Amino acid sequence: MSDRLDALESRIAELRAGVRRAVRARDGAAARSLRADLRAAEHAWDSLVTAPSEDRPRRRAAGVVTVRERVHQALDVLGAPAQPRLVVAVSEAFFAGGLRSAQLTSIRRDEERSFRAAPYGRPYYLCAALTDRLSPARGLLAQSGWPLERRMVGPLSPRVDFLTCARAVAARVAGAAEPSQEALRLLARMGRNIPGGELVELGRDVDPARVAELAAAELAVHAERDTLHRAELARRAREQLDDPARLFGATNLSTVGKKGITA
Amino acid sequence: MRRIDALRGTTPPKPHDARAIAALAANPGCARRALMDGAGVDKDAAARHLGFPAPFGQSPFAITRGNQFESLVKADGCAELLRMLRELLELPVAEVAYHDVENVGAHLRHTHTRALLDRAARGEQDAGTLYDHPLLTLEIAGHTAYLEPDVVTFQLGGRFHIVEIKSFAVVDGQADPAAVAAAARQAAVYVHALRLMLAGLGHDPGVVADEVVLVCPENFANRPVATLVDVRRQLAVLRRQLARMTSLDRLLGGLPEELTFDLMPGEDGLPGRPAADLADALRRVEARYAPDCLSTCDLCFFCRDEARQEGASDLLGREVRDALGGVAGVEEALGLADGTRSPADGQEEIARVLRTAELLRQDCLA
Repeated sequence: MSDRLDALESRIAELRAGVRRAVRARDGAAARSLRADLRAAEHAWDSLVTAPSEDRPRRRAAGVVTVRERVHQALDVLGAPAQPRLVVAVSEAFFAGGLRSAQLTSIRRDEERSFRAAPYGRPYYLCAALTDRLSPARGLLAQSGWPLERRMVGPLSPRVDFLTCARAVAARVAGAAEPSQEALRLLARMGRNIPGGELVELGRDVDPARVAELAAAELAVHAERDTLHRAELARRAREQLDDPARLFGATNLSTVGKKGITA
Repeated sequence: MRRIDALRGTTPPKPHDARAIAALAANPGCARRALMDGAGVDKDAAARHLGFPAPFGQSPFAITRGNQFESLVKADGCAELLRMLRELLELPVAEVAYHDVENVGAHLRHTHTRALLDRAARGEQDAGTLYDHPLLTLEIAGHTAYLEPDVVTFQLGGRFHIVEIKSFAVVDGQADPAAVAAAARQAAVYVHALRLMLAGLGHDPGVVADEVVLVCPENFANRPVATLVDVRRQLAVLRRQLARMTSLDRLLGGLPEELTFDLMPGEDGLPGRPAADLADALRRVEARYAPDCLSTCDLCFFCRDEARQEGASDLLGREVRDALGGVAGVEEALGLADGTRSPADGQEEIARVLRTAELLRQDCLA
């Protein structure tokens, strides 16, 4: 590739000299055509320089990996239940991307159908996070491989999950040799909403270590109470729910009515 | 059958939403509107049948945009909203508990809201800070209206704030005043309903703040920004108007027994009543048209047409109408101004003002 770049650079130099000569000779037609050639050469040089190197197969894999695998990858990075919007953003930032929120609306239902038809037939399922009524939480995606506690949503859990996700994204960005623009933007957006991170500017360089530090600081405030809530909810889920309901949530009203609100 | 239900006829009452209740407060003097809303008449259907379809209704694009912006503000456990509340209300960092009331089925949501907010007001531990889409109720002339504020927040130290998320932009700290006024009126309805609920539970209704948090996109980006809006004035108007609606009997008393706004829909659901007949029925009840009706009431074109035919000063806006107190219409005002009509008792003052104005106008034109 560098050979082609060298060749282009010498051609650009030649063309520039040619344009100068033509202008001095007041040969308008020749100058115009030489300028056009020069622009074409410069354009080719630009696209060669900015083209992604072949060792980063960013968009290529998109067609092969299924939607559920892509969601799984993203959730693996996050390590906490997340909304489709965030899953899409993470997939876009660290993987091939190409997910659309609309594709994720029915995924939980499809997974549940598959689980009920052949329980544990797949290595993992994309399942629901459970509310304090042990019903599926609106619009959250989780993984069957996680401990039950992690999939519980107490009153503090949405915030704790957000901070956990922010920390995970920061770690991932810090570990990457050359994080993508999407990744940096995602990190900045998350960092801005953590106390102390108000000054994080979109589009500027974000310090992943700083974001992780801020997230950890706020996590420390909530962690204890949240862990208690989650343990209690997980205990109830183990006692009251059968396997499918433990993964996809209880829809039965009787379980709700008996217990009322406890959290 | 109650008299008020007879006004509506056979169709089921049209449920009120916050927008409709807020619009009530926009024109408290209109008896026609008070009666029709009190009876739950579908004003839109009536206006269309009369041949005066209303020019508004929310565009689907606006609704999509609004929903998108709301989900952005509420994404990831209300992360953006928490940031703004921490800046604006100095919400302590530990206060992040979030309850998504929509997790509960629609039929349980109101009871669930009551239980949650009751616990918050009693100051129980871990009662929560953010309540997403609670369901409040408000009695409007004997019917229950269900209201759904975007978010209600409860801050430690004891006050509830209504949060209203709107997708009109605040550019350089300035927003469209009409849009802000409409949002404030709507939020006032929520504040009122929440106060009633808390009072019903035996708590001090004063714990609901007079100020609501208005969240809008800032400048030309999608980044949300929050401001506090005082809704005391809107609340006062709303309370007066709602009190008036409960005393609809007084308005009803002056009406003929057989009066009804029924569209008499046939088997196919299309109105079977002659439009002229319905128009006559409507004219029996006094309206108070003002130009702002054009953006809040379904019947606006009908009332405007009526006001034009009568040559009423209402057409010129509230200020002009109030200045012309005691003068029946535009024609009479013009007559008084050019002296072709002599002022009746009590009209001397306004006649003098009008004549001076006419002289000034002649001077300018000459």
